[in-house]
Amino acid sequence: MNLFETLGKRLVFFDGGMGTLLQEKGLAAGELPELWNLEHPEIIEDIHRAYLDAGADIIKTNTFGANRAKLRGCGHSVSEIVTAAVRLAKKAAAEKDALVAMDIGPTGKLLRPMGDLDFEDAVFLFGEAAKAGEQAGADLILVETMSDTYECKAAVLAAKENTNLPVFATLIVDERGKLLTGGDIPAAVAMLEGLGVDALGLNCGLGPDQLLEFLPQLQECCSVPIIINPNAGLPHDVNGKNVFDVGPEEFAADSKKMAEGGAWLLGGCCGTTPAHIRAMVNLCAGITPKPIEKKNFTVISSSQKAVYFGGKPVLIGERINPTGKSRLKQALRDNDMDYLLREAVTQQQNGAHVLDVNVGLPEIDEVSVLRKAVQEIQAIVSLPLQIDTSNPAAMEASMRIYNGKPLVNSVNGKAESMKAVFPLVKKYGGAVICLTLDENGIPDTAQGRFAIAKKIMKTAEAYGIDKKDLIVDTLVMTISAGQQNAAVTLEALRMVRERLGLCTSLGVSNVSFGLPHREHLNAAFFTMALQNGLNAAIINPNSTAMLNAYYAFCALNGTDAQCMDYIGHFSQQEAAAKPDSGTQVSLPEAIYRGLKDSAKTAASALLAEKEPLDIINTEMIPALDRVGVDFEKGTLFLPQLLMSAEAAKAAFEVLRAKMREKGETAKKGKIILATVKGDIHDIGKNIVKVLLENYSFDVIDLGRDVPPETIVETARAQNVKLVGLSALMTTTVVNMEETIRQLHAALPDCKVMVGGAVLTPEYAKKIHADFYSKDAMGSVRFAQKVFEQQP
Amino acid sequence: MKLQESEILRYLGYRGKQPDAALHKMILSCAEEVERVATPRSVYRLFPVTFGENCVQLGNITVEGHDLRQHIRGCKEAVLFAATIGIQADILLERYSHMDMSRAAVLQAAAAAMMESYCDEEEKKIREQVADRGLFLRPRYSPGYGDFPIQLQKDILNALDCPKRIGLSMTESYMLVPTKSVTAVIGLTSDPTGCHIAKCMGCSNKNCPFRKEGNE
Repeated sequence: MNLFETLGKRLVFFDGGMGTLLQEKGLAAGELPELWNLEHPEIIEDIHRAYLDAGADIIKTNTFGANRAKLRGCGHSVSEIVTAAVRLAKKAAAEKDALVAMDIGPTGKLLRPMGDLDFEDAVFLFGEAAKAGEQAGADLILVETMSDTYECKAAVLAAKENTNLPVFATLIVDERGKLLTGGDIPAAVAMLEGLGVDALGLNCGLGPDQLLEFLPQLQECCSVPIIINPNAGLPHDVNGKNVFDVGPEEFAADSKKMAEGGAWLLGGCCGTTPAHIRAMVNLCAGITPKPIEKKNFTVISSSQKAVYFGGKPVLIGERINPTGKSRLKQALRDNDMDYLLREAVTQQQNGAHVLDVNVGLPEIDEVSVLRKAVQEIQAIVSLPLQIDTSNPAAMEASMRIYNGKPLVNSVNGKAESMKAVFPLVKKYGGAVICLTLDENGIPDTAQGRFAIAKKIMKTAEAYGIDKKDLIVDTLVMTISAGQQNAAVTLEALRMVRERLGLCTSLGVSNVSFGLPHREHLNAAFFTMALQNGLNAAIINPNSTAMLNAYYAFCALNGTDAQCMDYIGHFSQQEAAAKPDSGTQVSLPEAIYRGLKDSAKTAASALLAEKEPLDIINTEMIPALDRVGVDFEKGTLFLPQLLMSAEAAKAAFEVLRAKMREKGETAKKGKIILATVKGDIHDIGKNIVKVLLENYSFDVIDLGRDVPPETIVETARAQNVKLVGLSALMTTTVVNMEETIRQLHAALPDCKVMVGGAVLTPEYAKKIHADFYSKDAMGSVRFAQKVFEQQP
Repeated sequence: MKLQESEILRYLGYRGKQPDAALHKMILSCAEEVERVATPRSVYRLFPVTFGENCVQLGNITVEGHDLRQHIRGCKEAVLFAATIGIQADILLERYSHMDMSRAAVLQAAAAAMMESYCDEEEKKIREQVADRGLFLRPRYSPGYGDFPIQLQKDILNALDCPKRIGLSMTESYMLVPTKSVTAVIGLTSDPTGCHIAKCMGCSNKNCPFRKEGNE
């Protein structure tokens, strides 16, 4: 059977469940089903044959868990098991002219940073299985039962990079239609279509009636054929056995509805049997597949949600871009990711829909810093990101590990730019901002910019990039350099919208460079651009003027139903405008009581009369000490201790800004903090960090799951005299012991303090730690002692 | 599911003390945020129990050691149980770890309290289900308690197909991810008096800050 010739002409049928049948034949709970390809080949072959006899066009190999992570220690290699599995399936399929899908299931592990499987390791292990499948003769790759977009991306990318086979992908969702990691169907579809899968859909998890409910959602966003392979209902435990309730007739009836509703490929998953497939084929074989409507909207996604361009205008937060921002430059030089992350979360809270991420500074390694920034921001923010760089290597590294379909900023009309960027957009699947400039610079006329947009569109087409994935930026120039600049940009914008039908974006605030009271010009220009069809704007979402203009525009142009967003926006502003309860409080009192805003106000006020260092030593440190002592006495508790720390931190920010102006620093001694290798839980370490920073120690936070070598190297390179290690599990304390051993061997005068749930003073001593800290204050006390002794 | 403020305070180490107004307000808002993002899920299956020399067998999983064996002594069957409140709670904690550490600490307590009360709710369902057969539940007993090896985490996750069914997996160090998750063995017994071992009193970790004294 020729897959692509058949698809769309008639329904294509997958087989049903494998695991359930193996359990009936005696597979025990927890036993590796893949070993049966070697140990009981006849049973596997019989099952394949039974499904083929029932009418399946595509059978799935018994390789769901055939990857390094799951097979480790079983005594057989991935390729050995995959080869055996594919051969068994091929042998059975050859008799019926059916196809064999190399089945790839999830690793059963969670990817970093939430889990400990590295993205590239996941790509490697999926690639190994996919390659073995192709070599053994599989006809296509089916990535299935994926509950995490990130792991699914790794698998699809691996299949694409390692084979030339068609790639299908199906996801598992819960009763709300969400992946287990929280993402929704439109987000996953945007990513998968971007990566170039040949068909996609849902499998497992739910019964046919429940998956049927999600078919309309799939159809609204899919442009490729839809696959649905449901369970025979929800499994439940009856005396130690998984039982499924949906019988063949009912299964077939729901399958028929799916076929009529537009699914092109149907089959079954857990609990389904050849009887289910036979009933389904008998009932559905005559149905002609509904034609697929190709979607023309522009979409990008995060792991959690999709953002569409072309409807309500999209706000792209511009705050993570060092141009003109000295505090951010400082953070990037100091490797202070916390600052970037706070900027990211604040922009999300203030209403941004997408975040621009640009870390371009001449003195940093942009490839690794941009990748790291994207990785960390996407772990805690649910918005899609705009990867903003002119460095193609940094762009590729970041697109690769991006969890979703990214927006890329940018390509332009230069041949060199298009040659570098378009292959990346094609491979990793993104939408791209197209700047209307080329080898001759930025045209002065709207016609000139329009012509470049057209050229970019034609070139993109040659790379197989659809025009819906292009977002044109007709370039905003300041009106202080040319009175007609705004008008030219807007005219070009309108031409691009009307004649090319492409989406548009502008870096709005450029319009006012060199002029006073820029916000007024920015807001007015923003409104004009929106009226001219602007689809997205790169703005500062923390700017009230810009957001006011945005909400007012949406209310006026009819995209804000009943003006609800407009009303909500201003009621939120009023709520936020309420002053902090105790603005008159002294700095020590504000710190003691944990009042962040008051602490900031008090610190600013004190700067009028005192030097920053003086304020730290006479006002802040005594207050922090008072908090610390009360905590140690047990009259203050952890949340209060931390509230005080947060208040002090807010005051420090004010003082440090002043000190930086003078080139001073208050930093005392350098301390490395890390959770040891294997330990990914770091809330305790973060608490210690906040407190140590309050006492002006210079904390180098190496994060979590840190190998001993990294800690030793950093301590050596930065001449660090104190290292704090945290371990939460009995299984990771061994890594703590090893880290201490290596530290003491390499750097005899470096002290190590330890803490964590499973540690005791005795145990700490046994593994040769210099100090056991029972709580966060303990580590402050020890640090003070260590650095007092130092000259 | 509604969270109890008293439980959150217990995880914050407030033994019998009253929180001030600011903390009280923060606890309420953290509880609300955790309730909003949590997606509690659980899975369980019954397995036959057989006792060997210094080990106990649950289905085809062998657990070496004394403590679990002692804990489910006299049971012919046991439930393998796993539950999680989902990865969104971890993401929330991570987000606030960078933004506001005090809130992160309270969220962490709220998430732990939610995990515990969700387990209690699910356990109640199991209790009702086995009551028909005249069986009672022993308290939950988890890998890592006493000499019940943490390494058994892996076998329990496999036996219950946890990654696929409820999105629960583990790291190379046997740490459960999402972090607010539980795996446990629950012995089934026909002896109603066997159920009065208090949750904490059977544990060898005498210094645990959450240890409940007496029979709760």
